[in-house]
Parts: sequence; structure tokens; C-alpha cells
Amino acid sequence: MSQRRVAITGLGLVSPFGGDLADFFARLLAGESAIRLLHTNDLPRPLSMPFAGCPGFDAEAALGRPLAGMLDRFAQLGVAAAFAAWDDAALPRAPQGDEREDWGVAWGTALGGTMAYEKGYRDLWQNGKERLAPLSLIHGLNNAANAQISIQLGLGGVSMSHTVACASSSIAIGEAFRRVRSGEAAVMLAGGSDTPQAYAVARAWEALRVLANADEASAPYCCRPFAAERSGLVLGEGGAALVLEDWDHAVARGAVIHGELAGYGTTCDHSHLVRPAAAGQVRALNAALADAQLTTADIDYVNAHGTATPEGDPVEIDALRSVFGNRAERLAVSATKSLHGHLLGAAGALEAIITVLALREGAIPPTAHLEHLDPACAGVDHVATARHQQPLRAALASSFAFGGSNAVLAFRAVAAQP
Amino acid sequence: MDSLNLIREFLDGRLGVPPQQVVPAATLATLGVDSLMMLELVFECEDRFGVTLDKNLKSPKTVGELVVLVDRLRSEQG
Repeated sequence: MSQRRVAITGLGLVSPFGGDLADFFARLLAGESAIRLLHTNDLPRPLSMPFAGCPGFDAEAALGRPLAGMLDRFAQLGVAAAFAAWDDAALPRAPQGDEREDWGVAWGTALGGTMAYEKGYRDLWQNGKERLAPLSLIHGLNNAANAQISIQLGLGGVSMSHTVACASSSIAIGEAFRRVRSGEAAVMLAGGSDTPQAYAVARAWEALRVLANADEASAPYCCRPFAAERSGLVLGEGGAALVLEDWDHAVARGAVIHGELAGYGTTCDHSHLVRPAAAGQVRALNAALADAQLTTADIDYVNAHGTATPEGDPVEIDALRSVFGNRAERLAVSATKSLHGHLLGAAGALEAIITVLALREGAIPPTAHLEHLDPACAGVDHVATARHQQPLRAALASSFAFGGSNAVLAFRAVAAQP
Repeated sequence: MDSLNLIREFLDGRLGVPPQQVVPAATLATLGVDSLMMLELVFECEDRFGVTLDKNLKSPKTVGELVVLVDRLRSEQG
């Protein structure tokens, strides 16, 4: 079977900036930060950390009360993002005929239903309860989001969940892409969702000593990828989804095509759980380029993983320098986590959406707060303030996860179609 | 609170079903109660009334059947 081209026909998100795509992208271009200091009154010690939350997300409004009550927060964020992407693709929620029997879902989540399980532990060990609510297990399932998406949209093909730490949704998108490209499915809905708001999960991140230092005043500016004074990453929550569609199928139904997903590369460093290795990232970058039949000369922008950890950022730039060689100094690179935080299992999908919007709009959102570049991160064209009217042809979005798993997605602008 | 009002309160909070629709003749499935939600509803009755429903019990089909069942257990176990 010949390979199909893969159109991106739907984008949907529940982000720290809300769900309106145009508003979301405008805020990124304006360098507006969604990061604030989060305070909770949890026992045994109140929690205080910089966080990019979604306080405006109303699950009942987005999903209806019966469905919202069936889902843990990570799945609520995910199903809402999936609905938004589906609506953006102008596909009806209810199936018509049996066309969708081979359409599927690939979903990423790093943490899954940890809030549900934590509630159970608290009820049993802290609140003196002897039994748990009947839906505790259902709420906690890591495949709850993709299962409900399949049910709600009548998708009868594969329904997969991918848990690969911070590369979860990039890998979900890549695996979905392969199914559309091979002709196995005409349409795949791919994305991810996560929330780190379970108290023990937030405490676990804190214990790893990788979170940015911040107080109330500095919180919006504390995530500083590639900067000399960076102090760590900022956790965020949300959901992001893309509708991937056989190009000819999309054209035949008159769909709006936002961009083309042209290639995907995934590798493992196979060296250390939390210390990234440039060699593994280089292989992923090269694999995505080869898969897309693109060369380094075709790439006008990279949305970097760029978490702002002291260890991770220089390794990522080292990998880009290795792959792009003499072109690296002219390669536009930005890390938008400086504005929307690190959405963990949803990060890859959110940043894929940003990359598609950058190509579509010809505008690059910045790495915010990059006043003092770390010399160890030099050697690429860091985008420190938004760039407009950029004739972008193709772009990469990178996700490099704990565990050493790497995933790179290659996108092509619609205007640059061969 | 009596059994009927507890069921009304649960279905209003969980599904948004108006209480006036929750009458003894109403079919639970028609009101939106599937097998998972039936577990939630039984759990709520057990918690609030301090009764235990046999897990092998035949599932009630209507609001009235559930009310009769819960009221019988309340008188037996209360």
C-alpha cells in the first residue's frame, strides 16, 4: 500500500491560557506568562510552587455533568481538548454510518489518574473510611481519556495510551501518524493530557530538586530555558489534541488543513534515567528529518523541549548543533515552556499545536526571559522576542523524556507543499 | 431523609435529572443510570442509611423497585 500524506485538520486545547487557539497563540507571541505561585493547605505541609494551572477550566460546561463525573481531572482535560479538536476539524460528534470503525485514538499521559488514587489513599488512611467510592478504579485508569474519546466519538479502531514521561503525547502523535500514513486509519485523534496536582506527585517532583525557584513576585518569570540564571522547570496542566487525517480524505470533504505532519523519529538514550544524552537526541532528530524526507536546510524553526533545567538545556543545544552543523547558528529555536509551563504528558501535543500555528501564521513565539544566554546553550538562533512575518516552510518539535525516550515530530507548512 | 428523596438528590447532583422526573414508575435506565452509576447509587444508599445490599442482588429496574428494596433493608438492618 502506498504511503498517504497526513493532514492536520483539527487542533484543540485546554491550556493555562484557555482554549481559544487564536488567543492562546497571541498571548505566546506577546510573551505573556501563565505561571503563578500555587499555594495549597495540604497536610502535612502546605505546598507552594510555581505552577501553570487551568483555573478557568469548567469540566461540567465542557463535557456535561454525567461525563465529567465519570472522569479524573487528567481525563477531563483530555476529553475536552479532544472535543475541541474534533469540532475544529468540522467533524460531527455523532458517527454517521460505519465510516469510523477504523478511526482511532492515541493518547499520552505521564501521570494518568494519580489524583483519583491519591483521593483513595487519603480516604482510607487519613479520613478513616473503610471502603472506596465505586468509580475509584475507573477514575484512576491511565487509558480513561482515550477510552472515553473513543466512546464519545464512536471511534472503532485502535485506542491506545502511551506513558513515556514527558514524551508521552509526542509519541502518541507519532504512532497515530504512522497509522494514517500507512492507510490503516483515515483519521486518528492524537494528543495528551496531564495534571500534577496530586499532592504526593507535586511533592515527588519537589524532592527531585528540578523545580524552578520562585516567590509570588518572580513566579511569572521563573521559567528561563537556556538562560544563565535558570533554576529548573515549572509544572503545568492541560490537554491538547490534533486530528490527523489522510490528506485525500481531508481534501475530499473540504476540510481546512492547518499543516502537514511529515515525519516522526523516536529513540532511547539507553544510558541514564534522568540525565539526557545528546547522541540519543541526535538520532531522533535525524530520524524525523529522514522520515519526512526533509534536510536541515528545509527547517526554519525548532520548538525545543527546553525545560530550563541546568542539565537538560545544554544537551539539547549540543544535539541541535550536531545535527544542523554550519546551519545551526541560523536555526530559529524557542522554548515556549517559559510561558505555559511543562505540561508533562500533554507537553508534546501542546507544543506540536504551537509549531503548527507558527508555520500557519508565519510567526515564532519566544523563549521568554532570555536576557542572559548561558554560554553552554549558545550556537543556535535563540528567539528571545516574537518574530512576525516569517516565511516558515518546515519545523521540528522535540520532546526528550525522563527514561531517555526521545521523540521528534516534523511538520511542513501548507503553503510549502511540494 | 427518605429513600425516594435520596435517589432524587443523587440523580440531580450526578446527572442533573430534575427531581420531579424521579417518580416510582420511572425506569432507572431511562433516567441515565447505567451499571456503573447503579454501583454509585447503591453505594450512596448504603453509606447514608447504614445498610448493606447483597452484591448478588438482582438489580432494580425502576425507582420504585429500588425504594422498596432500600426501605426493606432499612427496616431489617436498621
